[in-house]
Amino acid sequence: MASDDTLPTLKVLLIGPSGAGKSALLTRYCDDEFDPETSAATIGIDFKIKVLNVRGKPYRLTLFDTAGQERFRTLSTSFYRGAHGVLLVYDISTRASFLSMERWFTEAEANTVEGVALYLVEGGREVTTEEGQALAEAHGAKFCEASAKTRENVRLPFVDIVDRIVQTPGLIQNARLGRAAGAVALGGSGSDGYGAYLPGGCSC
Amino acid sequence: MESLADTLWDVVICGTGLQQSLLALALSRSDKKVLHIDPNDFYGGAEAAFSLQEVESWVEKVEAGKEGLFEAASVEKLEGDTGLSFPRAYSLALAPQLIHARSTLLSQLVSSRAYRQVEFLAVGSFSIFKPSPDSSQKPTLVRIPSTREDVFSTTAISAKAKRGLMKFLKFVLDYDSTPQTATWQPHADAPLTEFLLKEFKMDQELQTYIITLTLSLDGKINTRDGLAVIRRHLSSMGMYGPGFAALYPKWGGLSEIAQVSCRAGAVGGAVYMLGTGVKTMNNKEDPIVIELTSGDTIKTRKVVRANESATDHSGINRLVAVVGSSLKSLFESTVEGAPTPAVAIVAFPAGSLSTAAGEASKSPVYLSVHSSDTGECPVNQSVLYFTTGSEHASKDLLQQALDSFLAAVAGDTVPQCLYKLQYKQLQSSAQSQASGSIFDFAPPATALAFDDSTLQSVHDAWKMVLGDEAVEEEYLTFADREGAMDDDEVYD
Repeated sequence: MASDDTLPTLKVLLIGPSGAGKSALLTRYCDDEFDPETSAATIGIDFKIKVLNVRGKPYRLTLFDTAGQERFRTLSTSFYRGAHGVLLVYDISTRASFLSMERWFTEAEANTVEGVALYLVEGGREVTTEEGQALAEAHGAKFCEASAKTRENVRLPFVDIVDRIVQTPGLIQNARLGRAAGAVALGGSGSDGYGAYLPGGCSC
Repeated sequence: MESLADTLWDVVICGTGLQQSLLALALSRSDKKVLHIDPNDFYGGAEAAFSLQEVESWVEKVEAGKEGLFEAASVEKLEGDTGLSFPRAYSLALAPQLIHARSTLLSQLVSSRAYRQVEFLAVGSFSIFKPSPDSSQKPTLVRIPSTREDVFSTTAISAKAKRGLMKFLKFVLDYDSTPQTATWQPHADAPLTEFLLKEFKMDQELQTYIITLTLSLDGKINTRDGLAVIRRHLSSMGMYGPGFAALYPKWGGLSEIAQVSCRAGAVGGAVYMLGTGVKTMNNKEDPIVIELTSGDTIKTRKVVRANESATDHSGINRLVAVVGSSLKSLFESTVEGAPTPAVAIVAFPAGSLSTAAGEASKSPVYLSVHSSDTGECPVNQSVLYFTTGSEHASKDLLQQALDSFLAAVAGDTVPQCLYKLQYKQLQSSAQSQASGSIFDFAPPATALAFDDSTLQSVHDAWKMVLGDEAVEEEYLTFADREGAMDDDEVYD
């Protein structure tokens, strides 16, 4: 079941400033691991896959991290292509982290399809949620606090964003990468976030 | 986080054009410390794709002389509400090259697993523009038959011409085997057109068909190169599906491949900085000391960069036009089971256009028509990429080509041109070369189809960076980076 390529695939991105805890959140959610020593950028992970049942239907969730390209704000437009949802993560203990979120919202909105599900996630310890809540509302995004360290709310943003994606009419269709009738499969269908859209069979 | 200055970099790659980006991909599984920078604030260099907003700032930079390989850039928009969508709805490619199915680039993207992040579309028919014989008739577009089935079924040419064409197609498929080589080798350096006339008795019209398939910018390709290119085209036919020989990456062509390759580099640990170039470099020392325009001073063992100085002022002129029509008739698949093509090629042979001053065109003009399936424009619009070798009247000829094309495809009304970008791209005879710890890539070719020789220099650069550690069998051959699959989660 978990390796079933025929499930509808959703592409969700985690973006936000360096050190906001994107990778920690992802690792805690996918592997239930947390390493308080690791603050270096994650190397070697392109994306993670999770099968998630929402409202009785299974979805293949592909979760893309920034791969360090957020450090100097060099995420490419191609990174955003086909995204159904974006989790914008910041670290509440750093003021600059929160203040940068307006720009991250702008970038996400500019590079994704209309109706994309946005979700602001506040990571860290202190609790001053009002500002975060207000910022999220201003962008039509949902908001929550989550802590990879304590596990608090770790599942919530992922489950919520999938729920929101599947509840938004037309979003899956709009963001779908392989929608063009002319899409050509180079290597047959694979088990990543894209292969599932392409017609199966290897023609090479 | 480690500062840039604290790291001893194994290589600094400057520029994010296709070659440098493929190098980053090639190094993405090595444990080399890679710093990848680009003085531009966008990915792709001379192969970038732009939103309309980005086009405007690029044009300003070209006009300020800050984009070495480009000059004479301008943008023209219709006034008022023209049906042009918002700037981000467009992704206009500076180098909309098509990629033949047999290209090593595709097999390398597959073996390196980068292809999964790129969506490929089929390039459909090649057509020839025929001017109207008199003012009462429209000019027309005639599709070039390029498979045996096509040649059988076409009504555009005579039975005698069909036989000649068939004979030629058969010949090309194994032109470099022994009995055939004797036929063409004496003509190897002569123009292909002469060879076609002498050996296959092709008339000028059939010669034009064949020359169009080569996409030769001056129409004067020699027999040796011409036969190789035609064979590449014919043998690519059907490789990834029926009815097409070439592919085009969605969202702006090579730009997309460059971006995906850079992402792979980042996943492998490379550090990316845009809007940052090399200010000064001291390569008398080892390691090399570089002062970046960001103010950082860094140390590196090797440097790979692009030579962006043009050697002369020859080159190509381009006109990119957005038109308010889906131009549906150009994107019909002609073979059963073929994917809907997103790109169609139209050639305006030498002599088929004339300038306002009545001067006939000396070189062909090529047009690559992109449907909205390419993601380069919104639905019900198309992007037209016109290219011709630079001559004094090139700009005028490209405008004539645009007007003539719109007249040829006009139904009840002539499709409206909503937006125009024009520029000149300079050519260079500089070669890629390594000198000590520095590798320079030659400027990108101005050809209309991707040329595999580009890949050789990427490989050379990879060898220079890795030195003794380079393992040929592992070049761009990687396992999938699987996202670890986890238990199912249920939420209702």
